[in-house]
Amino acid sequence: MTSTAAVNETELVFRAKNGEQNAFGELVCIHAQGVRNVIYRMYGNTQIAEDAAQETFIQAWLHLPSFRPQTSLRNWLYRIAINAATDMLRKEKRILPNSLEDMQLRDSQPGPEAIAFQEEQATLVKKAVLSLPDACRAVLVLREYEGLSYQEIADTLSIPVGTVMSRLNYARKLLKEKLERTVFMQQEARYV
Amino acid sequence: MSDHVMEWLNPYLDGELHGSRLHQVETHLDECDACRAELASLETLSAFLQEAPAAEFSPPEKFAAQIRLRLPRQKIAPLRNRILEVGWWMIPVALLAIWIFMNTSFFLYDMLSVADRIGWLTSVSDWMRFDAWSAADWSAALERIGVLRGNSLALAASAERFTRTSLPQIILQVSIALLYLSWLAIWWTRHQHQGHSQALEG
Repeated sequence: MTSTAAVNETELVFRAKNGEQNAFGELVCIHAQGVRNVIYRMYGNTQIAEDAAQETFIQAWLHLPSFRPQTSLRNWLYRIAINAATDMLRKEKRILPNSLEDMQLRDSQPGPEAIAFQEEQATLVKKAVLSLPDACRAVLVLREYEGLSYQEIADTLSIPVGTVMSRLNYARKLLKEKLERTVFMQQEARYV
Repeated sequence: MSDHVMEWLNPYLDGELHGSRLHQVETHLDECDACRAELASLETLSAFLQEAPAAEFSPPEKFAAQIRLRLPRQKIAPLRNRILEVGWWMIPVALLAIWIFMNTSFFLYDMLSVADRIGWLTSVSDWMRFDAWSAADWSAALERIGVLRGNSLALAASAERFTRTSLPQIILQVSIALLYLSWLAIWWTRHQHQGHSQALEG
């Protein structure tokens, strides 16, 4: 985030804290994509991502007075989002997609063999990510897809940096094991 | 195997290593095929994860409009909150000011009594002098409530001095300390509650 954007966001937070819904709406626009992405990467379902993101912003609005302006709003929202999605799934007892039904890529038209192969691989990767334990998956998602530093992940999840490192190591180790026999070996040749 | 740097390869890949640890890993990678291969596989995995396509969501503006429809209509009056917040933080400031004022007063009082005893206040107006008559009145009051009855003169003088000067100081100091500790306890409770609210756990 640029310094101008940061100043603007600080101003928006200040106004939203004073009850201005328009300012809060602008904050929602800024962070909607990131919040929905985090939940989607965590749970692999767009509907859950939309619903939990809505709940996230409602909770954020209600708890905005307790938000400390010197901390990162984005990381605060991510923390609420992960907790909100977990709570939502637990309370509503929604069933996560354990088949490939909800994980098929959009617009997967029958096409050239290479595209079909790529899509199949992407689906397998997604399934492997979803099979990780929640705690490891959250760290992996924040690092790989949102590009947060270890310290930012630690702040977001309220865990020590050492724990971030060990969970990330564990998550990647599990992923490698899961993917090794299917697509990883083939792909390795492309990147090495 | 113990010389390998496998456990540091993830933070190395993520650009989280600095200083001597970074140098150690880089040096080791130059000469170790196994660690280089492990790093390459981690890079492959990371690139592979990045390739997973993102989901398509509704436009942020539309999403924000949906959120606004669900927001509670009225929040707690922010001005009142701000006034309460300022008042809350003024409590320790006020306690500190009272404490400084009180100790300065006691200090000046002691200085004046010493100056009066050694005769430095003989040439000043009566109202500025350490008023010996009030000490006598105080002794008389203690006598009336029975504190001095039957005691020796030395003990009576000590009791008079203690109840007139030291006791009020002790009571005031303890009161201020208790008020400050209560404020600290409430602040700590609020802080903990705020942390829980932020985490939104449970």
